Amino acid sequence: MGMMEVSHLTRDYGQGKGIFDLSFSIAPGEVFGFLGPNGAGKTTTIRHLMGFLRPRGGSCTIDGMDCWKDAARIQKNLGYIPGEIAFFGDMDGWAYLSFLQKYRGMPGGNRMMELIARFEVNPKGKIKKMSKGMKQKIGIVAAFMHDPAILILDEPTSGLDPLMQGRFVELIQEEKAAGKTILMSSHMFEEVERTCDRIGIIRSGKLVALDSASALGAKHRKRYTVTLAAPQEAADFAQAFGGEQNRLNPCQVTLTQKQTLEDIFLHYYAEEDRP
Amino acid sequence: MNLTLYRKELKGSWKLLTIFAAILTMYISMIISMYDPQMADALKQFEELMPELMAAVGMVGGQDTLMGFMTSYLYGMILLVFPMVYIIIRANGLVARYVDQGSMAALLAAPVKRSRVAFTQWMVLVTGIVLLEAYSTALEWFVSEGMFPGELELRQLLQVNGGLLCLHLFIGGFCFLCSCLFSEAKLSLTFGAGIPVLMYILQMLANMGGKLEKIQYTTFFTLFQAGGLAAGEEQAFLFAGIALLAAVVCSVAGILVFRSKDLHL
Repeated sequence: MGMMEVSHLTRDYGQGKGIFDLSFSIAPGEVFGFLGPNGAGKTTTIRHLMGFLRPRGGSCTIDGMDCWKDAARIQKNLGYIPGEIAFFGDMDGWAYLSFLQKYRGMPGGNRMMELIARFEVNPKGKIKKMSKGMKQKIGIVAAFMHDPAILILDEPTSGLDPLMQGRFVELIQEEKAAGKTILMSSHMFEEVERTCDRIGIIRSGKLVALDSASALGAKHRKRYTVTLAAPQEAADFAQAFGGEQNRLNPCQVTLTQKQTLEDIFLHYYAEEDRP
Repeated sequence: MNLTLYRKELKGSWKLLTIFAAILTMYISMIISMYDPQMADALKQFEELMPELMAAVGMVGGQDTLMGFMTSYLYGMILLVFPMVYIIIRANGLVARYVDQGSMAALLAAPVKRSRVAFTQWMVLVTGIVLLEAYSTALEWFVSEGMFPGELELRQLLQVNGGLLCLHLFIGGFCFLCSCLFSEAKLSLTFGAGIPVLMYILQMLANMGGKLEKIQYTTFFTLFQAGGLAAGEEQAFLFAGIALLAAVVCSVAGILVFRSKDLHL
């Protein structure tokens, strides 16, 4: 049984929008990259996991609890970064964070200060007037400060500068080492590559790929075999282009084109309807 | 109820409450101070000049006690409408606006049940209504006692304001239900403000009397009978009870709707 289970989840918004018969499972301690083009259904799936939407078909559970019925209980141990963070605009950054702590009924003083220092957050002043990046950082602090075991992160690094993106990746790696279960949607390939154990790609509301990053890479590896005039030439060629000389036929060199995650994603993103 | 949320929202109500309390202070003291044979004559002159308009806002004279005078000149419009405007603004702000803006996500991404969030917001609304009502009652009493000692009967004042509270709780419940029902602040306001305002306009028409009097059966303002409450009439109390019951029904419905609705946060 996975920590997060999505089974046959269906939500039809009409005109091909929505999610259809979506199933996947995330093991305890796993970091799951949830990818897909805009409008593919990532956020809709996450809304179901958060208990904001009632499933019209299928179900989803977190830690064995139903995401709709037991939402409040699940939230005890869950941290969430929404895709579009909205705050109580009139609130001061400090006031917002301490409000959330008290509201959740959970202490988190040290952890909060540590996160504020790590992301160089300046919670002074009205949130409404903060930059997008600063708002995002406040959202990150709010999601991690109670040290939850499960994290649902919807494009957590949007608006962050590369330095802060790097620090976020470090944070995820630490959380992973600490055994947290994480579902993360993202468009940043590097971030996904460096953190995720497995990747699920969703398109038009359906899961089109589900595997580890390396396995997805292997699946889409392209091999070329080049035949040269002489074995020596082949050896030079193999050395120059990182190919492999065929032992049985020394005139032949096999080249493997390394596909980056980006290539793989683009392959799935751009492709027309698959059977 | 979640006390942390309750406190935050009460803080958010404070500014608006102060503004409405100031408006009520001005009108209540002004109107009561006009209870004076000469000033009453002035109001009567207005009535003679434009009887329909004065009747529309409930200002019909011929009252010789202070309570009767207040019934005509305070409870026809000022004490009905100003708290209602507060209710409309606040009810919309407590639920629908947060859903519309998306900040409701922060409240629900926490181990607090939806029904609890909604109940807390409802309590904030009710607290505001009770505070406004209590403040105007106290003000009416002290201004009356200060200017015309012994003229106002406390029991009558409490009976009338008790009924008014029931009516406002009902309007509060209705606006709260609209706020829970609609995920767009615009729609919540259209219904939450539109219907009470329409009802008040109908009430104004009904007040003008004649054939239009029948309109009173279409508006919930009929549930508040200031004169009847002051006189201790059974029907007036029954109407207040109906308003209170409707308030409970609307409020519970609002919480249930919010508990089971889809939220695109």
